[in-house]
Amino acid sequence: MKIAVCAKQIPDPANTVTYDGGTIVRPDEQVLDDTDRYGIEVALQLKEKFDAEVTVISMGKLGTQKGIQQALQMGADKALVIEDTELQNSNSLMTSNVLSGLAKIAEADIVIFGTESSDGYSGVVPQQVSRYLGLPCISYVKGIDINEETVLTRQTITGSEKVVMPTQCVISVTASGVEPRYPNFKDIMAAKSKEVEQIELSSIDLTAEQNQEFKEIKSISSDKTGEKHTDEGDAFNLIIEKLKEIKAI
Amino acid sequence: MKSLIIGEVSNGSLSSGTLEIITKAKEDNLDFVVVTIGSEENPTIGNELFENTYFQLNPNELSLSVVADKLSEIIKENSVELVLASSTYVGRDISGFLSVDLNSSPVSNVINFTIDESLLTTTNSIDGGESEYLTNVTSEVKILIIRPKSFEAADLELNESFTIATVEKNELTLEVNDIFVEEKTGPQLEDSKIVISAGRGMVEVDNLKYVQELADKLNAAVGGTRAIVDAGWMPYSQQVGQTGKTVKPDVYIACGISGATQHQVGMKDSKYIIAINKDEEAPIFQIADLGVVGDTLSIIPKLVENL
Repeated sequence: MKIAVCAKQIPDPANTVTYDGGTIVRPDEQVLDDTDRYGIEVALQLKEKFDAEVTVISMGKLGTQKGIQQALQMGADKALVIEDTELQNSNSLMTSNVLSGLAKIAEADIVIFGTESSDGYSGVVPQQVSRYLGLPCISYVKGIDINEETVLTRQTITGSEKVVMPTQCVISVTASGVEPRYPNFKDIMAAKSKEVEQIELSSIDLTAEQNQEFKEIKSISSDKTGEKHTDEGDAFNLIIEKLKEIKAI
Repeated sequence: MKSLIIGEVSNGSLSSGTLEIITKAKEDNLDFVVVTIGSEENPTIGNELFENTYFQLNPNELSLSVVADKLSEIIKENSVELVLASSTYVGRDISGFLSVDLNSSPVSNVINFTIDESLLTTTNSIDGGESEYLTNVTSEVKILIIRPKSFEAADLELNESFTIATVEKNELTLEVNDIFVEEKTGPQLEDSKIVISAGRGMVEVDNLKYVQELADKLNAAVGGTRAIVDAGWMPYSQQVGQTGKTVKPDVYIACGISGATQHQVGMKDSKYIIAINKDEEAPIFQIADLGVVGDTLSIIPKLVENL
């Protein structure tokens, strides 16, 4: 079994996102998107059971590759990465097209994603990749049970449902079902010698095109004139008064 | 503009997201048809305003890719220029599949759009709602994934006149087992007039009982931040924010929530926001109508007692 798992490097979420001409400004040092840790965890659980090879796939500004290293430290075997000026500000379809190409190069049977990145939030990349690869898509997986067969639990609008994982498919994992592992010192050292192969855009069959032109960012004048009080033990009265005032009670 | 609305069924009727998109389509005089996806038998989803084709799924099969095949055909045959879907599990799956077939990247998380001649411009909300990000969509077919509560739901008299389309299996269809329906009791997040949400400031899961007591007193629904849902304190269905639900109640009470941008996106349009947080600098206070700097765990029980 070969698994490709997506890892996106994003600006540290502790900092405010800034834009330059509609594009998110990306510092040299970006971190692994927390959302991806859940997908990586699922990939590693499959690796442990089936002795699978896990390849991290990633697209975007490489910089110091901190985020890629973080993915490898968790226990992935190697990484395929791609950075190209033509891919700057890619829409979701271009991104999926390129990631599908990387999954093919990794000869992946199973391709795993988080459900949406924490900076772009398009939330459609796993579905698009499944379509590009012609594989079944099992989206919003919130649980995995690996026995003779692997059973995936999907989140649905009304609850959940279970699907037996086929030998080839694309999976998106929600940020809840599994507990991502933390690497120890040995894992961190071992990651340094793992192979990170940079793929040229020319080896990808890119057919998706840019279809979104940035127009402008408009700031909305907030006319909120809220009031703020420090609780001196009787703030509950203030809340009750306000609720009465606005006729909520 | 020739348009196709991807509708969904909820409790035998059109989902609120679908009705919201229909409002916008009517306002903009779009030439639209609806295709509705669901697994319920005999839903009431028809209306004389529009043609509706119901793709009735077998609940024991994962077969949205088959529906996408059919929709791609319909879109091409009828030269549809605009596809509108809700930002739901089904809407995102279908839009993702269609975008590859039509070689047109969708615009996600759209909260509004304008059409001027043939130029379509979408609006996204960024910076926790303090800025709007405008994009011109230039492809022939445009696919928009619309955030819930972006428009008022259309008030329509629905009937049973619609066409049923069958969904066969194909090689990508997977079998579904153990369907579990979460029991929903009490007021629901999306349509409750008062929502009380909890964040990390509740310190530990046991303290959520205070929030529940307050909710019971006020006949309110209970929500939570992604942090506490990830921590397993609450089911995902109660998550409010970017990756969860969007709510617009009359009153939103944020208990121990710092107010990260991702959370604000899901609640900032509430009519009256009350925030209780220990940290005076918490971003939630910037959007609160009434902010109380103090210990949530001491204030809520007093509220419950005195209401």
